Amino acid sequence: MAKTKDFSQRLKSMLKVDTRRMFKSPLVYIMFGICLVVPVLILVMTSFMGETTITDPTTGAIQTMEGFKNVWQIVGSTSGSAMSMGLTSMCNINLVFFATAIFVCIFVSDDFRSGYVKNLFTIRSKRMEYVASKTITCFIASVGMLLLFFVGGMIGGAIAGLPFALDGFNAGTLICCLLSKSFVLLIFVSIALTFACLSKQKLWLSILLVLGCGMLLFMTIPMMTPLDAGLLHLIMCLAGGLLFAVGLAFVSKLILNKTSLV
Amino acid sequence: MNAIEIKNLTKNYGEKQALAGLNMTVPQGAIYGFIGENGSGKSTTEKLVCGLIVPNGGEIKLFGKDYKDQEVRAHIGVLIESPGCYPNISVWDNMKLQAANLGLKNEDEEIRKVLKIVRMEGSASNKFKNCSLGMKQRIGIAFALLGNPNLLILDEPINGLDADGMRIMREVLKDITKNYNCTVLISSHILGELEKIATHYGIIRGGKMIKEMTAEELEKDCPTYVAIKTKDNAKAKSLLEKNYKRVSEENEYIRVYDSARAEDVVSFLYQHNILPIEVKTAKISLEEYYINLMNKGGKA
Repeated sequence: MAKTKDFSQRLKSMLKVDTRRMFKSPLVYIMFGICLVVPVLILVMTSFMGETTITDPTTGAIQTMEGFKNVWQIVGSTSGSAMSMGLTSMCNINLVFFATAIFVCIFVSDDFRSGYVKNLFTIRSKRMEYVASKTITCFIASVGMLLLFFVGGMIGGAIAGLPFALDGFNAGTLICCLLSKSFVLLIFVSIALTFACLSKQKLWLSILLVLGCGMLLFMTIPMMTPLDAGLLHLIMCLAGGLLFAVGLAFVSKLILNKTSLV
Repeated sequence: MNAIEIKNLTKNYGEKQALAGLNMTVPQGAIYGFIGENGSGKSTTEKLVCGLIVPNGGEIKLFGKDYKDQEVRAHIGVLIESPGCYPNISVWDNMKLQAANLGLKNEDEEIRKVLKIVRMEGSASNKFKNCSLGMKQRIGIAFALLGNPNLLILDEPINGLDADGMRIMREVLKDITKNYNCTVLISSHILGELEKIATHYGIIRGGKMIKEMTAEELEKDCPTYVAIKTKDNAKAKSLLEKNYKRVSEENEYIRVYDSARAEDVVSFLYQHNILPIEVKTAKISLEEYYINLMNKGGKA
């Protein structure tokens, strides 16, 4: 018999499996495509619409829906600006968090639905390498989605003719903002992974659970990752991301250890 | 050393008890035919051995070590129910994933080798979802064979295979047990095929092992007999019963056991003016043995 491989070697081979599968299956390209196209559509369409007023037929109250006035609104708002439920705060880069959650659910659920888990877990008795590999792979994909949304936002902004002026923040804080969002993505990846491990073949259940949970967290993202994010935001998001990733990895491992996989 | 040793294994699915203290021993190098009715606990046992479900009690040892041992588990090939392949990617890419999972060094070479064994080398570029049932089954076997496993666990691997596929399967299993010292645990309802390859048998019922035996022991338990068909079977049977201890009638044939020679039985009937229409010597098959055993309430 061959020599027993240590955790890092096993994780390496598991990562090889996951990255290969991720880039062989159409799912990741579809998600990347969506993340690139959606911001372009949002910015171009809203700029064509301009400012929209809606009159409530019963009360007669007039509501004004403001469009994007600046390209960077697709990335977020500065910490000083008031929180709103308007178009700019709902239809921005934070949609990637939902896209990530759905991607993780489908990616993990496919292992169970295709029956590939039988091949994986017959050979691998340790569940942690599976959880760790999935977390890393999905995190990489989610960062890719975030960057593509950002690129899409820039393209959309350019097409829509929106100003690129940095108002109340600078390039450094913008990078901090994007990095903070990346670390918060790790929280979403971990939550989605745990729900996907719990739901196994039931994709609908994992999506339902993660969207429900995501709704609760969604409102906190603009506060954690403003356009004028500093080092403190970065550290807080990194700590939160790691804490969730490690903590929920153990929960996922426990679920996989204690429940039937097929 | 035994490849698989199971002691007092229990598994419940809610209220239903799937395994009720199963004991099982699969010697190393054996082709172990695992037989039982639907719902008797075969697949559950295999899934437990593979670590895919969690037992409620009992002990499973693989090659003398705990079944969770990573070293042992790394050398198990498995085909349970259906091959675990991703439908939207090609057969080759699926094989590449499994090769990476196993940590194989010469991935392409190993994949070509197993695809050649199951005669699927020409269909490697097909998407898995576009393969026929028989092809999928062969791919599943190729998956299981990848990386030269020490233990193969195959659940209904012959299902969906054509005659040629079954023959290939037989040859492959015989070859790997003979030349690579691989142990095979195989469950199937096609007992005729199983009989051609198995060296050991285990019969399970209601989550309990009711009989374990070697192919030699089965041979002893399945005597040869002379089967005769006459125009008047009732008369012939009553005559034969006077001369032979064990005579029975099955499917229009009178069976004479007791190591009787066909020519003796025929000449005996001639003497009593009964002309046999058909005479043949046969042996009780595994299927018949199994059905008889089940009819006896599963008591050996």
